[in-house]
Amino acid sequence: MVKDIRYLSLGILLIVSLTLPFFLPDAYVYLVGMTFLFIIMVVSWDIIVGYTGQVNLGHTVFVGIGAYTTALLQVPSRFEGTFLHFLSAIPSPPIYISIIMGGVVSAFFGFIIGVITLRLRGYYFALVTAVLPLVFIQLLYVWSDIFGGEEGFSVGLERALAVDSIGKYYIAFFTMVLSVLIMYLIVRSSIGYKFRAIRDDETLAESVGIDTVKYKVLSFVISSFFAGIAGACVVHYRITVGPSMFDIPLMLLIILSAVIGGLGTLFGPIIGGFVIYLMKNWWLKGMVGLSDVVPINDEVILYIILIVVAILAPEGIWVYSRKIIEKLPIKFLKKAKTT
Amino acid sequence: MIDLIMRILVYGAVSGGIWALAASGFSLIFGIGRILNFAHGTFFVLSAYICFILAKDLGVNLFISYIIAILLVGALGVVVYKIMMAPVRHHEVMVIIVTLAFALLVEQILLLLFGEHGYSIPSFVSGSMEIGGVLIPKTRILAFFVSIAVIILLEYFINRTRTGKMISAVSQDSEAAMLVGMDVEKLFMITMFVSASLAGIGGLLFGQVFGASPIFAVKSLIYAFAIVILGGLGSVRGSIIASFIVGYIITTTIILLGSRWAEFVMLITIISILIFRPTGLFGVEE
Repeated sequence: MVKDIRYLSLGILLIVSLTLPFFLPDAYVYLVGMTFLFIIMVVSWDIIVGYTGQVNLGHTVFVGIGAYTTALLQVPSRFEGTFLHFLSAIPSPPIYISIIMGGVVSAFFGFIIGVITLRLRGYYFALVTAVLPLVFIQLLYVWSDIFGGEEGFSVGLERALAVDSIGKYYIAFFTMVLSVLIMYLIVRSSIGYKFRAIRDDETLAESVGIDTVKYKVLSFVISSFFAGIAGACVVHYRITVGPSMFDIPLMLLIILSAVIGGLGTLFGPIIGGFVIYLMKNWWLKGMVGLSDVVPINDEVILYIILIVVAILAPEGIWVYSRKIIEKLPIKFLKKAKTT
Repeated sequence: MIDLIMRILVYGAVSGGIWALAASGFSLIFGIGRILNFAHGTFFVLSAYICFILAKDLGVNLFISYIIAILLVGALGVVVYKIMMAPVRHHEVMVIIVTLAFALLVEQILLLLFGEHGYSIPSFVSGSMEIGGVLIPKTRILAFFVSIAVIILLEYFINRTRTGKMISAVSQDSEAAMLVGMDVEKLFMITMFVSASLAGIGGLLFGQVFGASPIFAVKSLIYAFAIVILGGLGSVRGSIIASFIVGYIITTTIILLGSRWAEFVMLITIISILIFRPTGLFGVEE
């Protein structure tokens, strides 16, 4: 029964997503399109954290690496006059190639960080990835000639994903469907089972012959790859790149979406990502500056929600509500469960 | 040149002492409960702000403000443990997420209340004195001696007192400690109080030397991470020694390259330790 609900809601979501641009104002179409790209980030975070059990607090860095890779490939003139001058001669590839390159470069950095930190058990991975965002943002400022510092830079209107919001919307939607589908197939394959074995008991996984380091690194590389793809798409969606797009608030949104949806469920984070991103950018926007006395803004509200959800329902709202439903003395639900 | 070396030597010792307080508290709670407390930097920053409000805005006696700030932050540590960490302690992913969210929440509230610029908290001493031809502000000298005194007290507490020995016992094997009749939950709370107050003292010293700003709720964590990884996760003595090494690395970086490179150099330090000696100087195998 639970499975049926899941497929039904996915089906509804699919139909709603495909028809949405026909009756929604342009600005909202743009926002929902961004939400799809955000969902890729949440689901890819879930691969390493929810499925493999390694806490990655630097996911936005890999989103950012993908973004700056494609942006610099498209605008190689940024390198002119810097110590990387030779790179400015590279001809820029078509945007789809450079988006994939964004994913590849992200995956490469993921591989390096992963090989160093994931061969150690315990908390080293979480500690190192927690440091990454601050270093990444700092480096963007240090080399502001190349990266454009605080303002970032524009890749130019002609390098957008599509000419209008509706075109962008559909491209973002299909990128999301494709990415999520690939990640779904990975976690359903034998590789995915190995990820979960490592998450549940690393020692046991090792003793049944799973090369835990290899699979942890693989999981991180896959996660970083899709983070990079999402970041690169965002650049061509918004036509600009800048550090504010990959700062700590984004990390908070990713964590919150995945935690509310339920870690390690893949579908939960999709729903979570959808709700949280829209909530933050659509409804909460109006609450900023609500009061001069109480120190509150949209971020404060989201942090409080995250803490409350993480304490009360650490498995996610979806699993939590299912548990409550199972406890209810309703006959037909119990009956449905047994079938 | 001599001038530069002297400056690095003295300033490095001061910053090493301050970070030793912050990092040993972080190490203490990790050692006893395998709790990675990302909210540790929050206590560091909060104590400075509490002291600032008490002394500057409310006109409380400076010495009393310091004491109240330390005690309040220690109590807050216990509350945070009780409300946020204890319910999810078996779920290590959630401990990290909850404490990080709390740290960012406090940072955000402080930003809204005080803005992002730093506040220098009032000190007992002012002016500067000459050591080896270099002018050193007296606040730094005070910070150095206070931190050394607190470190000695901490060593005494852990190794000589009954409670300290019980904490060490729980760190080594919490189940065995429970079997011989120790109240492990109570010891966790005591440790959390000590850990948060240590961060609080560190924050006060830092605040009077460099000034406190909300960003340090997260930034101070990076230094603490580097220190505990170098010292070995869970080893308090290792953290103290590593603090001085890291203190010198930070100071040298800031004096020679500028403060914007500090985080980057910290990351390089962490990664090179992980490559060459992952257990740190005094680490215990997980």
